[in-house]
Amino acid sequence: MKKYTLWIAGGLGALLLLLVPLYFKSTFVLHIYTLTFFYIGLTAAWNIMAYGGNLSLGHASFFAIGAYVGALLYVKLGISPWIGLTGAVAASFVGGMILSMPLIRLRGPFFTLATIAFTEVLRLIAIDWRDLTHGSAGLNIPFDLGWLNLTFKSGAPFYYIALALAVGSVWLSRWVRYSALGYHLRAAASDDQAAEALGVDFNLVQITALLISATLTAVLGLFYAFYSYVLEPATLFSFELFSLQPALNAIIGGMGTVWGPVIGAVFMTPLGEFLRFYLGTIQQGLNYVVYGIILIMTVRFFPGGILSLLTPLGVRFKRWIGDTGDNQ
Amino acid sequence: MKKLAMLAAACICLMQISVTGVFAEEKTIQIGALYPISGNLALMGEESWRGAEIARILRNRQGGVAGKQIVFRQGDASTNSAARSETERMIEQDKVKAILGTYASSRCMVASEVAARKDIFYFELGAIANAITQRGYKTVWRTCPTSLDFCRGQVNFIINWLAPTLGKKANEIKVGIAHEDGEYGTSVANSFATLAKKTGLQIVSVEAYSNTSNDLSSVIFRLRKAAPDIVVAVSSSQDAILLSRQANELGLNIPIMGTGGGHSFQSFADGLGPQANGVLNVDFTQYHVNTKYTPGLEEFVKLYQETFKHFPRAGSSLANFMGANVIFNILEKTGGSFDPEKIRKVAMAMDIQPGHTATGWGVKFDKEGQNVRAECLVTQWRDGKLVTVWPKKFAVMEPILVK
Amino acid sequence: MDFYIQVLISGLLLGGIYALISIGLNLIFGVVRILNFAHGELVMLAMYGTFWLYKLYDLDPYLSLVVVLPAMFLFGVVLQRFILQPVLTTSGVMKMFTTVGISILMQNLALILWKGDFRAVQTFYSMSTIKFSGLIISIPRLVAFGAALLSIILLYLFLKYTYVGKALRAIVEDHATARLMGITVERHYLLAFGLGALFSALGGTLMMPFSSVYPTIGGPFTALAFVIVVLGGLGSMGGTFLAGLFIGVIEAFAGTFVSPGLKEAIYFVIFLLVLMVRPQGLFGMGRGTEEIGLK
Repeated sequence: MKKYTLWIAGGLGALLLLLVPLYFKSTFVLHIYTLTFFYIGLTAAWNIMAYGGNLSLGHASFFAIGAYVGALLYVKLGISPWIGLTGAVAASFVGGMILSMPLIRLRGPFFTLATIAFTEVLRLIAIDWRDLTHGSAGLNIPFDLGWLNLTFKSGAPFYYIALALAVGSVWLSRWVRYSALGYHLRAAASDDQAAEALGVDFNLVQITALLISATLTAVLGLFYAFYSYVLEPATLFSFELFSLQPALNAIIGGMGTVWGPVIGAVFMTPLGEFLRFYLGTIQQGLNYVVYGIILIMTVRFFPGGILSLLTPLGVRFKRWIGDTGDNQ
Repeated sequence: MKKLAMLAAACICLMQISVTGVFAEEKTIQIGALYPISGNLALMGEESWRGAEIARILRNRQGGVAGKQIVFRQGDASTNSAARSETERMIEQDKVKAILGTYASSRCMVASEVAARKDIFYFELGAIANAITQRGYKTVWRTCPTSLDFCRGQVNFIINWLAPTLGKKANEIKVGIAHEDGEYGTSVANSFATLAKKTGLQIVSVEAYSNTSNDLSSVIFRLRKAAPDIVVAVSSSQDAILLSRQANELGLNIPIMGTGGGHSFQSFADGLGPQANGVLNVDFTQYHVNTKYTPGLEEFVKLYQETFKHFPRAGSSLANFMGANVIFNILEKTGGSFDPEKIRKVAMAMDIQPGHTATGWGVKFDKEGQNVRAECLVTQWRDGKLVTVWPKKFAVMEPILVK
Repeated sequence: MDFYIQVLISGLLLGGIYALISIGLNLIFGVVRILNFAHGELVMLAMYGTFWLYKLYDLDPYLSLVVVLPAMFLFGVVLQRFILQPVLTTSGVMKMFTTVGISILMQNLALILWKGDFRAVQTFYSMSTIKFSGLIISIPRLVAFGAALLSIILLYLFLKYTYVGKALRAIVEDHATARLMGITVERHYLLAFGLGALFSALGGTLMMPFSSVYPTIGGPFTALAFVIVVLGGLGSMGGTFLAGLFIGVIEAFAGTFVSPGLKEAIYFVIFLLVLMVRPQGLFGMGRGTEEIGLK
């Protein structure tokens, strides 16, 4: 009975989200929602690696791999992006395997640096290999309407696609966390040697997490490419947009938890947009100043992220609805 | 608890986002102004915005458009993703019916795509990628030259002035290209290669480099080996100075011809000093030009200096000034109406001969919405000033050859 | 042959500058154990300082060192004391993100204060060169190279022979034990961060005669300095110098003989390979680096 209350609340929330496109005719509002969903997905995907204590600042590479593979297959060979998904997954899998080589040997900051270097190399290749990627001049997705081409006139289809991707990513990251893999990851994060002594193949666990995270990010990248019409290395490989931002979202929401990334993305994405058009146009750069201050303050005063503030509330809420469940 | 209160306050601020929508007032004409004013394109983006802003101030002083004051709804296209959000916001929340901008081509490609799919007018005043007006959208217009026009200016100058000066035939001239590998450098270099093929110029070397690089000696070495007659450089900003400095250091005695961007900036001459002397450049109309041919330019410079307290930093503001005026003129003729049919009719009927706008460009739109009378001028740095040297009708000085 | 030597000279001179920028990062990374993403912004700030002293007071870039170096030392100390020290006990990730915040903040404050213009100083020696038997050496770059060499020698002597220097090295190796031995770790962190900022400022100022400054110039420096410090090995000043030269030479040759557009990619690939094969760095000490992520 008590469990039901939570399910009903969740169901109502989901229903509301499904109804949003019917209520808001403004594609701007839909765009903000869509963007937020993309970032929820990205952050959740990024977070899978964070379970194991590994911090990547190179997820833009997987995002761009997915975007470019999907778009190139479509633009050059006419292959529908739905089929192109397999190509994106395969390519990012290979990318993940390459990055797993430093992962085996490096931890902490050194692994982080390796992810940055990895992304830089791919970015420079994408710029230089003009016959394939058109370099910085960019690749356009032609305006041919249809579900098969992932091109729509209204904002609603992509709203639902992004919503589904976000739900799927969060579900996957939750599944990973509570699976044997997740327990091993967290054990590995807290104490390598103890985990290894228990017979956990430490490297295998970390690599699996990396591959799941990488392929998921690539899938999101593919859909994002079709959502954003224009592909160019400066955007897709952007450190700020797709490497740093997911990490920031996770940290501000609560890193290594299931819901922290969701909260972080829901908080940060609209905040970034809000700051840009209310402050950025008053004084150039002011929005980023505020952004920087928020970042420094969050790390200093809420190092556990927003989730750590909400948890006491959640406990109270559960007590209020009479749930004394033990999943905390 | 305190922390929670702070958090709650932040959330409330955020909720405004979905609620606030500033509705256009009837008494003003609302136009979106989208430029990258933060991020790494901020410099030129802001300079471009200033041009449009001056046009707006001036027009409002003269009574506005169709008796109404013009109001800009501003947007910051700091990234492509931001360009998209801001366009959506300006259209949906601010209810603008037309947007002008953008300086950077990739931002324009994204923003005009959004606008075109909603049948909102998009006037490009400063971005030069050829593709912008080639997508078949009836609501995308451009007043400034394309990257092909840039290269046309360059090639004409090389064939008609440089070749005779060097005593060579056009097909004996060897050109080396050094370009930054961003979108700007790449698209201009591509256009130049296309045009050079048609005109028989020999391209002996094409060097792409990253504009954040702090050493371009390898570019210089490669150019020195290829030994062209002229180096066409496409630099986005400070790389223009670096290229000239290192060319000088490493003894590359070949004239350099810039292609707007970093070569048009006053900072280029300020930073290089006497070494800037003689560097050629192709760009939008600059300020030291035959003003008989560019009516309105002096007025622009005066108001610019009043408003921003210094001389314009580059010609892109002037180009945006000219473009914004064209738009205001169109809107004046439609009586302030944004009806697509009316605007299209008025715009297509426009027929201004060269020499009657602040940039000296004429106005005549082709079917794709491109102003075919926009052209690029050749300028040269002389004693810290960027003076126009070609074509003759615009020129205030004769070009000289400095190696 | 001359051509190859010329490319080599260019690479070495470039490498000297790179080494100069990286010394400060090595100190901060090694002693305070913070992955300082605001490192390039420290360089940027020093460059602006030099520019404004030149512009407003006509101060020669080399003379302005007298003002810029102490100011940046103080700035580093303040940064460490008031922004980084409070988060020192949190995880490495949190510390790193604090520096990311500082980097974003500094970059955009620079944009607000000084706009996006690129600024360069113009000195009589900006483009002066030494020429002999067909080879060309830029004087301001040679000065920067010399300063890098001198700084590293001085820093080496300082670390090796003074009490404070020994304490810093002890912290690099094992800060917990260092604390037990009675070293006031926090105070030495302040010093290390200050010195780190000072050396970044030295690099920035000495670059001004031949380089321009703009708000986003720092980013590439940060990445570059990380590459060099890791290649050279934590705590090894000589290693940083050699790694700087190594990267400079690689960049010059790759740029000249492969493609200028790919030169950065090539040194990042080398960086990745070194990380995989010899993670303690080419010249690193390999001791005390376990806890910050080396196996």
